Amino acid sequence: MSVQSAGRWGLIAQFPAPLRARFARNKLAVAGLVVVALFFLFCFVGPLLYSTDQIHTDLTQVNLRPSGAHWLGTDAVGHDELGRLMYGGKVSLLVGLAAGVLATVIGTLWGSVAGYAGGWVDAVMMRVVDAGIAIPALFILLVVSAITTPGVPGLIVILGLVSWLVPSRLVRAETLTLKSRDYVLTLRAIGGSHSRAITRHILPNSVSTIVVAATFQVADAILLVAYVSYLGLGVQPPSTDWGGMLSAGLTAAYSGRWWLIVPPGLAIILVVCAFNAVGDGLRDAFDVKGRG
Amino acid sequence: MDTLLYLTRRIAQALVVILIVTVVVFGLLHALPGGPARGILGPQATPQQITLFNHDQGLDRPLPVQYLYYLRQLLHGDLGTSYTLNEAVSQLIEQRLPKTLVLTVLSAVLGLLLAIPLGMWQAVRRNKPADYVITTLSFVAYSTPVYFLGLVLVLVFTQMLRWFPSQAPQGDTVGQVFADPVALVLPVVTGAASMVAVFSRYMRAATLENLSEDYVRTARAGGSRQRAILFKHVFRNSLTPVIAMLGYYVPVLFGGALVVEQLFNYPGMGLLFWSAAQSSDYPVLLGCVLVISVATVVGTLLADVVQRVVDPRVKGGQA
Amino acid sequence: MNSILEIENLGVTFSTESGDVPAVRGVSLRVAAGETLALVGESGSGKSTVALAALGLLPGNALASGGVSVGGTDVVGAGEAELARLRGRTASMVFQEPATALDPLTRIGKQIAEVVRNHRDVSRQEAAAEAVGLLRRVGIPEPERRASAFPFQLSGGQRQRVVIAMAIANSPGLLVADEPTTALDVTVQAEILDLLRALAVDSGTGVLLVTHNMGVVADFADRVAVMLEGEVVETGAVEEVLLRPTHEYTRRLLAAVPRLAVTGSGSGTAVGKEAEGASVVELRHVSVQFGRGPRAVRALEDVSLTVRAGETVGLVGESGSGKSTAARVALGLVAPESGSVSLFGADLRKARGRARRALLSGVGVVLQDPVASLDARMSVAECVAEPLRVHRRGMGAAERRELVAEVLELVRLPRELARRGPRELSGGQRQRVSLARALVLEPRLLVADEPTSALDVSVQQTVLEVIAELQAELGFACLFVSHDLAVVQQFAGRVVVMRGGRVEEQGPTMSTLLHPETEYTRRLIAAVPVPDPVLQRERRERRVALGTEAGA
Repeated sequence: MSVQSAGRWGLIAQFPAPLRARFARNKLAVAGLVVVALFFLFCFVGPLLYSTDQIHTDLTQVNLRPSGAHWLGTDAVGHDELGRLMYGGKVSLLVGLAAGVLATVIGTLWGSVAGYAGGWVDAVMMRVVDAGIAIPALFILLVVSAITTPGVPGLIVILGLVSWLVPSRLVRAETLTLKSRDYVLTLRAIGGSHSRAITRHILPNSVSTIVVAATFQVADAILLVAYVSYLGLGVQPPSTDWGGMLSAGLTAAYSGRWWLIVPPGLAIILVVCAFNAVGDGLRDAFDVKGRG
Repeated sequence: MDTLLYLTRRIAQALVVILIVTVVVFGLLHALPGGPARGILGPQATPQQITLFNHDQGLDRPLPVQYLYYLRQLLHGDLGTSYTLNEAVSQLIEQRLPKTLVLTVLSAVLGLLLAIPLGMWQAVRRNKPADYVITTLSFVAYSTPVYFLGLVLVLVFTQMLRWFPSQAPQGDTVGQVFADPVALVLPVVTGAASMVAVFSRYMRAATLENLSEDYVRTARAGGSRQRAILFKHVFRNSLTPVIAMLGYYVPVLFGGALVVEQLFNYPGMGLLFWSAAQSSDYPVLLGCVLVISVATVVGTLLADVVQRVVDPRVKGGQA
Repeated sequence: MNSILEIENLGVTFSTESGDVPAVRGVSLRVAAGETLALVGESGSGKSTVALAALGLLPGNALASGGVSVGGTDVVGAGEAELARLRGRTASMVFQEPATALDPLTRIGKQIAEVVRNHRDVSRQEAAAEAVGLLRRVGIPEPERRASAFPFQLSGGQRQRVVIAMAIANSPGLLVADEPTTALDVTVQAEILDLLRALAVDSGTGVLLVTHNMGVVADFADRVAVMLEGEVVETGAVEEVLLRPTHEYTRRLLAAVPRLAVTGSGSGTAVGKEAEGASVVELRHVSVQFGRGPRAVRALEDVSLTVRAGETVGLVGESGSGKSTAARVALGLVAPESGSVSLFGADLRKARGRARRALLSGVGVVLQDPVASLDARMSVAECVAEPLRVHRRGMGAAERRELVAEVLELVRLPRELARRGPRELSGGQRQRVSLARALVLEPRLLVADEPTSALDVSVQQTVLEVIAELQAELGFACLFVSHDLAVVQQFAGRVVVMRGGRVEEQGPTMSTLLHPETEYTRRLIAAVPVPDPVLQRERRERRVALGTEAGA
């Protein structure tokens, strides 16, 4: 396996071959990767090939069953359901991705500082994390929904703020392990600074843990987005996401209009499942411990 | 002696966490539109009434002082009064919490009873078709929003098959809840599903890790058979990390209860919280958040204590 | 002749990610009833694989061919049920790592009883009583009480005794011991070997002893088989092989073993004159405590030692002696709670910021673990250049590269290695890279904490030679921490013996080691086995006469 330095940072620029091979052997993970790719194509490239009007209502086309004209039927205000699935998917995927990454970034910063500092700083920072974990996310989200209705950026921030706790624990654990590695001790013994130890040794070696955590966070975030619309915190009409579609179609379900809830429900399940499978595969390939 | 030290340490940690939670809730209380004044006086209050009220209640005093007042209130068990239901919040919670506990405990017990053997079995049958199937099912169960799962179960079992009622038991007390056990089945199963998915994965991972430990090799060298090793040695050692995870899963269980209660119209704390959110009943909302969080911290503490009993090596909690 | 173990043309191949690896090729050997055969080799020789094959304990990805017969039963083709009947009764095994060999959640009495009940139809009470008896036989004091202890409550040596108790529970005809004392302190090692020998003699058990330590072989074995890269290169009686080796590899191996000189007046060995220069690092009445309250550990208690310019001081002791902690105090990694530490004449505790950095730039560090000493995400060049980046920030890239190449050559490594990654290097090469990194700033002090303990004996020799050569050339002082008395004797001019956080005694190496003043040092030296079977027998008898401490 060859080591290639990328510029000043000395990081390994490519994914080494043995890692790729190990990932490829996990059929579930590979399937997950394919599913994720397909869904991204579906939501972003799909509307270019199959364009429908998702803004204006058409009350002449209300509640139609799936047919040749509308493959997945229409909803209560006349939107084409298949097109709505693509449209809502864009929001679900983007918000989920952004919130997941944000949560991982915050968690990494918090966890690495706590782990490296140790002592009472670590203790206090981790008590804050414990407190955050103790308050169930759904409850906080409901409270927030009672106070205000945020736009998409606000939603991303709120979801990120609710989810950074788990990655912070994982990164802290990794930092604690790396902090006492011989090469870090040697660096400190010859006069190397804390910042050098963190930026050149600890963070680069935490990359695998962080990447795995991020993948699981995205999976969780997409799921959380689905809950959020159900709770009434979601995006406003005519914009929508899969959770919103489920929420709107709930009453319809009881009267047998299955095409309004099965597609978005299945979409959520498949995408979240896929991200989880990829995360699982990455974790096994990297041989990282634990999932939050 | 050691255990006593450990307990004291853990309880002190738990108290700090609870304190932080009160700070968060207090912060939210003051982030509300109109502030607590509106909370007490109601949405119809005039600006003059609010200013007067604020002065009266000492709400124009510096925040840290108000926080101390708030803490004192809490210690007296006063969580404020509901806007819409005109009852003391603590009263409402007292009435509803036990029922939620019944639901969550039953879900947790069912979840663990299924997950632990399943996880062990998967580890033994690693990478065989059965393992893949169950892993896939676990992923699916884990990735499904609880309300969707509940909805599907309701549609299938109550509308199509008509085996169970679509509403959970409606009683006021815990006893009344148990009087109609059939109606409890679907809510408990819905709550347990995600837990089975998650914990079977943990158990599988823990069992796999333990199977490759040195002590298994020593036992084999002594002539012990694989099955005996699995149950006598690997099982106990695999339980420890799983129990540790249990503590962190308690808030998830409560979150799930929220959705399940709303879906099945179960009169527990989750439903109370839900209706309060619909009507912006802040005292109830924040009181519930506080109580649930404290319940979670206590749950985590209990899980840690159990872990220590099961594994005598556990020295201190995490930092 | 009655053979309890017969191996005929054994071959073992492992199928791994990177293809098939043949670990053992055409190995044949025999252990007669009641005799001890030592299987010697360095890492990768396949000796452990042979041991595992004897009990059918090879991992799932191993394919075995050939014949292995234990007490008449064929092992290679046997099914799991048959093997389970064999293991623990006809043949038993003792492994290397006592720390992980026992189930942490089950009491030791129960674990021993389990082995008993696997093969004999006895009640639980009878098995428990037998377990107590076995604990007594292996020298655990207060066996009735200790039987209900958990493994973590026992020391390493005691845990190994428990594993041995489990191995002899059903009086096996063959005992396979895979590096049984490698993870133990030398005094504990001596006791465990005594125990094994006594048990073998008492019950006429044949022993297959796998080890890399020639001293242990001289102490214990009747016959020796030497393995190299999966094959047996030499077999014979222990005196023949160790004193009159015929194969080239055996000769090289024996030559590379550092020998503890136990007689003589002290001429002919030891590098490093009694330097009278300025003190390079000095610890004065240093005490270190880890943790607080009732569970605090006093790692160092009133330790004073000095290293002068140009000299090598060996810091020796067993585990828990505090030697590594003392080295870390000297490096400024651990702050003492009392006493003073001075580096190049300046008080290390008071130095801050730039002044502190300047002081530390005169120090080079080499630590024990070849895997963890280099950050695998950096190339060799980047690892070696790191001190330059910390202290010579103005240096240009070309100049840096040249300096790195020079230093690599200094430690006898080719320049081209600079571009490779640590994962592609062997353990010995990695330690030399670590050394290069330590020397790139031309330090005045090299602190080496067990730099060769994780390496094979032949590789160890090379690394030590390099250090000695460079010291003669560059004139740095060296604080050398080791548990290996023979290495320290060869290398250090002065020696400091530590025990339980205190300095037991210190002085010039030869006089201290040949004529020790304290009881402990005498026992420590007596416990180190030398690779000369005749000499070792004499020493063993003398040591036993000296008396050993109870328990371990």
